[in-house]
Amino acid sequence: MSSDVILVIVVGTALAFDFTNGFHDTANVVATSISTGAARPSVAIGFASLLNFVGAFISISVAATVAKDVVDADVITPTIVFAGLIGAIAWNLITWYFGLPSSSSHALIGGVVGSAVAAAGFEAVLAEGLVGKVLIPAVVAPILAFLVAGAAIGISYRVVGRQRPGIVSRGYRYGQIVSGGLLALAHGTNDAQKTMGIITLALIANGTLGAEADPPFWVIASSATAIALGTYSGGWRIIKTTGTRIIKMDPAQGFSAQGAGAAVILASTHFGFPLSTTHVINGGVMGAGAGKRLSAVRWGVAGNIFVAWLLTLPAAAAIGGLTYGFTRIFGTGALGPVLVTLMALSLVAAAFARRAQRGAPVTAAGG
Amino acid sequence: MIATIVHTDELLQTIAASVIAGIGVTFLFSLGIWGAGQFAELSRSERPVAATAAALVGAAALLCVAAAVVTGIVVMTHK
Repeated sequence: MSSDVILVIVVGTALAFDFTNGFHDTANVVATSISTGAARPSVAIGFASLLNFVGAFISISVAATVAKDVVDADVITPTIVFAGLIGAIAWNLITWYFGLPSSSSHALIGGVVGSAVAAAGFEAVLAEGLVGKVLIPAVVAPILAFLVAGAAIGISYRVVGRQRPGIVSRGYRYGQIVSGGLLALAHGTNDAQKTMGIITLALIANGTLGAEADPPFWVIASSATAIALGTYSGGWRIIKTTGTRIIKMDPAQGFSAQGAGAAVILASTHFGFPLSTTHVINGGVMGAGAGKRLSAVRWGVAGNIFVAWLLTLPAAAAIGGLTYGFTRIFGTGALGPVLVTLMALSLVAAAFARRAQRGAPVTAAGG
Repeated sequence: MIATIVHTDELLQTIAASVIAGIGVTFLFSLGIWGAGQFAELSRSERPVAATAAALVGAAALLCVAAAVVTGIVVMTHK
């Protein structure tokens, strides 16, 4: 009974995390299409939400990595997963509050690793999976997106350089409908799968599923719905700030950045690498900027992303570990997770109220 | 040991697929725009054969883009 209560809390928390992931990442997915005039904000956001939803159904490789390759499912309990989720959500809220560009994906994995270590020691961590499938791809993917987008924009300027600007801009704007759609699809498939993986891990830990089980359909459908609703809700906040805070690019740059981002995320998803989609998309945008003019790159943003890389995993791990320790004060039952949930909800409400009074910044925080 | 941890094959395949898809699709799409631009230009200069050839190159390039996108999605869904 007690473990079922914890499981319900874990599923609810994971879906809330998925919603905030979509909410945060809307800007990354639609900003390029909106800023180049390829799509109206309402159309871009509706399209991105729909393709986020569809994307969640096209693969389960990343979910399998999160559920089976990062921590040892045999020693994991639903409370450990819960503490990990709290670590991720807390770090996301801290970085959101201070306007730092953090990765929800790294926070999620860091949180779960931290709570697993606090509960069962370092033996609970599958180092091979963590390093090979999370840490190395986390470094390689944004650099790859940067280089691919940079090369792509160089090639496109060479091919269409002597054409009339009108036909070129129109052409790439049409192309951005496809590249933006692919990016939304890629975002949906990689990010929603992390939540699927976490819920599957909790179900395995609870004994509801076997150790080698794949995510059940209801897990896939609810994760897809949560991220799509988050993207749609976050979009209305973006509409209000469009044209004032979004990076200006030409349509060719937008197409190259989105194409590179989508290619890297989809290829990585195929091999089950859970990436920070935010870092990859930012890498693509910076590459497309650098391909035209090196000084166009916001090196400050690149520096912030680098700092976020360094901080997110250990910080979320520390919060996840501390949360697990706190829940154990109240024994192994549901009391600890219930108290933490109530405290977290109060803190979130207070943070939102305070941020709403001061005016929330639009940041690159997210997946 | 390091090779086992790094998943070298999968990482290299990811890099190769990203480079081919990211750069290849942008090149082909740009060729499609070039074809459309050349078609308009050459039609205005009353050179119908060259205009048709440019249009064919552009159309073929855009078809390849469509094929690449469909192939990518099919590969994703069939693992």
